[in-house]
Amino acid sequence: MSQGVSAQKILNKIKELQFNHVLMIPDSESRLLYESIEKDTSIELITPCREGESIAIAAGLWTGGASPLVVIQNTGLMEAGDSLRGCGMGPRVPLRMIIGWRGYGNAMSNKLPIDSAYTYTEPLLNGWGIPYWHLMNDSDLEAMDKMDKTAEETSMPAAVITGYTFKQ
Amino acid sequence: MIERMDMLKTIAENRTNEVVVMTMTTTLQWPLVSDHDLDFDFLAFGMGHAADFAMGIALSQPERKTIVFKGDGGLLMSLGSMITLSKYAPENMLIFLLENRCYEMVGGQGFSQRVDFEKIASGSGFEGGGRTGKGKIEKIDNLQVLQDSLPRLLSEPGPHFVIVPVKNSEKLPPVNHSDHAERIIKLRTNLLQK
Repeated sequence: MSQGVSAQKILNKIKELQFNHVLMIPDSESRLLYESIEKDTSIELITPCREGESIAIAAGLWTGGASPLVVIQNTGLMEAGDSLRGCGMGPRVPLRMIIGWRGYGNAMSNKLPIDSAYTYTEPLLNGWGIPYWHLMNDSDLEAMDKMDKTAEETSMPAAVITGYTFKQ
Repeated sequence: MIERMDMLKTIAENRTNEVVVMTMTTTLQWPLVSDHDLDFDFLAFGMGHAADFAMGIALSQPERKTIVFKGDGGLLMSLGSMITLSKYAPENMLIFLLENRCYEMVGGQGFSQRVDFEKIASGSGFEGGGRTGKGKIEKIDNLQVLQDSLPRLLSEPGPHFVIVPVKNSEKLPPVNHSDHAERIIKLRTNLLQK
C-alpha cells in the first residue's frame, strides 16, 4: 500500500458521513483534497483566513444543525488553541477534524532537521484529550468512521491525522 | 456616540425571533433588556470569534436573522475574520460593531486611536460582498437614526456591518460564568425546535 490517502476516497467518505460544510485553509499536503472538495457542489467549502476562525464557524454551524468538518494543518491547530478550547472542548461541541501532520513523512524517513510541528502534534492532542486515529493510506479510511462516531458519542472533538500528501 | 444601554434597549424592543450572539461587556448589559430563548452569551468561547460563530449559525439557519454584537477590540483580535465575513456572510447576518476604542472589559485600556473601522470593513470587501454580493457597511452614531434604521436592518437582505460608536455610563453587572456546554445545548435545542 502506497503512502498517502486518495483525495477522491476521502471526499467519498466525507459525503458518506454526510458532512455538508468543510472549513479548510489550503496547504501543500492537502492541495488535492481542497481541489476535489472545491469542485464538488454538494459540499460547501469555506476558506477562512486562520484556523481559529474555522473552529468558531464550525461550532456555529453545528449549533444551527449543520454537519461541519474542519480540515486543518497541525500548525493551524496550534494557532487555533483558544478557539478549540472555547468552541470545542469547553462547551462539548463534537467537532470533527482532519489534521495534517506536517513533518511526519520526513521524521519517518529520519530526515533532519525534525519539524517541531511534527514533534508537538500528538502531545498537544493528548494534552487536550482529543482522541485521534492515524489516516496514512487508503486502508485506514475506517479511521474517519471511528472519529465521527466517537465525536457523536462523547459530544467532544475528535480527529484523524494524516501524515502524507494526499494523492489523486 | 450612543449610550450603549439605549442602543441595546432599542434593539431589544425591535427584535422578534432573531438569534442574538453577544460577547464581552454586552453580555453583561443585554440580559438587562432581553430574556429570550435565542440569546447567546459567547463570553469566553474564543477571543475575537463571536462573529465567526454567528456566521456559522446564520449559514445553518438561513430563514432566520442572526444578529451579533461584536466589540472593536475583539475585531482586532481576529482581523482576518473581516475578510472571511466579507466573502461568506449570508444575507441573514447583521453585525453590530460596538466601537468604544478600548478593551473595556479588562479596564478600558486603549488601542491605536487611529484605527478606522469603516475603512477596515471597506478594505476587506464587505461593501458589495458576502455570499449575496449585497453586503452593506453603515455607521450609526445617533439613537434616532438607529431607531429609524432598525426595521430596515432587520428585514432587508444583507449582510450588514453596522458600526456604532458607543459609550457607557451605567455600572456594569458582574460577569456570569454559566456553564458553556449547557449554554450551547440550550441554543441548539431551541434553534432546532423552532
